[in-house]
Amino acid sequence: MNDKVISKKNGVQNNNSKIIIKKFTRPATIISLGLLFIIIFCAVIAPFLAPTNPYDLKVVSILDSRLSPGDSMFNGNVAWLGTDGAGRDVLSAIIYGLRTSLIVAISSALIALTIGLIVGLISGFYGGKIDSFLMRVVDIQLSFPAILIALVLLALLGKGIDKVIIALAIVQWAIYARTVRAAAIVERNKEYIQAASCLGLSDFFIIWKHLLPNSISPLIVLATLQTAHSISIEATLSFLGVGVPITEPSLGSLISNGFDFILSGAYWITFFPGLMLLATVAAINIFGDQLRIILNPRVNN
Amino acid sequence: MINFVGDPVDMLVNPESLPEEIDRVRKDFGLDQPVHVQYWKFLQGAVTGNLGNSFIFGRPALALIIERFPATLELATCALIIAIVVGLPLGIFAGLNPNSIGTRIIMGGSVLGISIPTFWLGLMMIIVFSVILGWLPVSGRGEMGTFLGIQSSLFTLDGLLHLIMPATNLALFKIAMVIRLARAGTEEVMGFDFIKFTRARGLPPKRIVSFHLLPNILIPIITVLAIEFGTLIAFATVTETIFAWPGLGKLVIEAIINLDRPIVVAYLMFVVTLFLILNLIVDIMYAVLDPRVRIKGEIQ
Repeated sequence: MNDKVISKKNGVQNNNSKIIIKKFTRPATIISLGLLFIIIFCAVIAPFLAPTNPYDLKVVSILDSRLSPGDSMFNGNVAWLGTDGAGRDVLSAIIYGLRTSLIVAISSALIALTIGLIVGLISGFYGGKIDSFLMRVVDIQLSFPAILIALVLLALLGKGIDKVIIALAIVQWAIYARTVRAAAIVERNKEYIQAASCLGLSDFFIIWKHLLPNSISPLIVLATLQTAHSISIEATLSFLGVGVPITEPSLGSLISNGFDFILSGAYWITFFPGLMLLATVAAINIFGDQLRIILNPRVNN
Repeated sequence: MINFVGDPVDMLVNPESLPEEIDRVRKDFGLDQPVHVQYWKFLQGAVTGNLGNSFIFGRPALALIIERFPATLELATCALIIAIVVGLPLGIFAGLNPNSIGTRIIMGGSVLGISIPTFWLGLMMIIVFSVILGWLPVSGRGEMGTFLGIQSSLFTLDGLLHLIMPATNLALFKIAMVIRLARAGTEEVMGFDFIKFTRARGLPPKRIVSFHLLPNILIPIITVLAIEFGTLIAFATVTETIFAWPGLGKLVIEAIINLDRPIVVAYLMFVVTLFLILNLIVDIMYAVLDPRVRIKGEIQ
């Protein structure tokens, strides 16, 4: 029985790279990863890709307002996805809006990840009173819905991209902290950490060189899914009018911008930004799920 | 802390008013005094249950919140019921037939359901059902009926028509979760010996599902949903804004945008209290529904 398990384990290790490649070539992984690359690529090269600069007042003309998709604008350009109430090209606005959305989501996720990592490692490594104090804070935070905390924070902080990033980071750090702590506690009781303590290495060195690299892997999947989550929260906040300012719209503020026109039948102003948002969030979510399958050694077949 | 964002006086008076006028308004609301004096006054009021008057409405903030709460409660309750009625059968189906095409469609749909932005879906629902088809009203609560002294949209046809879209919109967010919970529960319970035993006794599958499976998977679902009820109330902010539902969420969003501080503070207190009560109810319910928890507690 024991031999069987061991031989099975060795077999898995030998074929590890093959299996990972095999898993990466599953259709769902390829499609979601491809979509994700295209989306990020579009956001990065936005100024070159967008047909017009939607925030250049010299180009935007009120005469072009509320054109339906495919109509040509006053200056002869075709507005493939129509124009909004102020005559801005919806396609260009989406590409620029995507940029804002991604910047906010990724930077807030990174900040939250860093805070969560530090808190989780300290909590898991030292245990005791520090641990119970930090985890009660995490418990309190996680018992409230993220959207509510973000809303209240923004009511206190006011508007602005930087403030949205801060609010989203504060909303998210707790979940990272809890995950890291769980991994850190498991690692902390293993022999190599005890050996390191016996060698008289400083706590900081042990945490930094040994605990951190070994507790970070569960965060990869979490960070992916959380980024999708923070894109939706940011969009929701911007839709409610408490998120990013109107001068630098994200996908959420574009959707909210079109809200005023839906009853007059100008569906494209809301529909297309929303579709983009859905595609982005769904691509990240599916990719995150695939990543979980790839990284989990128990799900091999 | 809330005092540092903007000046509410700017929102209250006409920008063209004279400086003397502006000063008078500032004095009336006590905003000319230093922050610590304002805070002390607020604390004095809060202890006696007075959280201050709304700047915009000129009435006690707590009264306004309690007045708007039934509308939100109605919306959230309906959403919860829709989520259970739709999600539970789909989840049980997926759990009973893990490899069928139907299950793949349901699970794929639930991933989409998590990814889709709720507020955008609400707007799309308005476009389809109100603008294009013209079936359902766009906004408001509709006509309200009174039954047993409670005023609610549930008791009139017009009110129900107004309720369908917002409640469905709010429910979609939870349906995916109910499906996942129900599926996981079904898969687990179906493997237990007592289910095999009912099969051996030759009971019809319908009876097994409704009498032996359902009670066992309902416990975790109900407890999770009770906690999630708070999330529904928080998320109602979004739905209420889209469908102009005159509830708590719409009130607080308007208060945040108009810098109406007393309402924001009162809302915060109200929601925190609500969450505490909900969590307490969940803990008690858990002990009532699952005797094992009770026994554990007594040993400790």
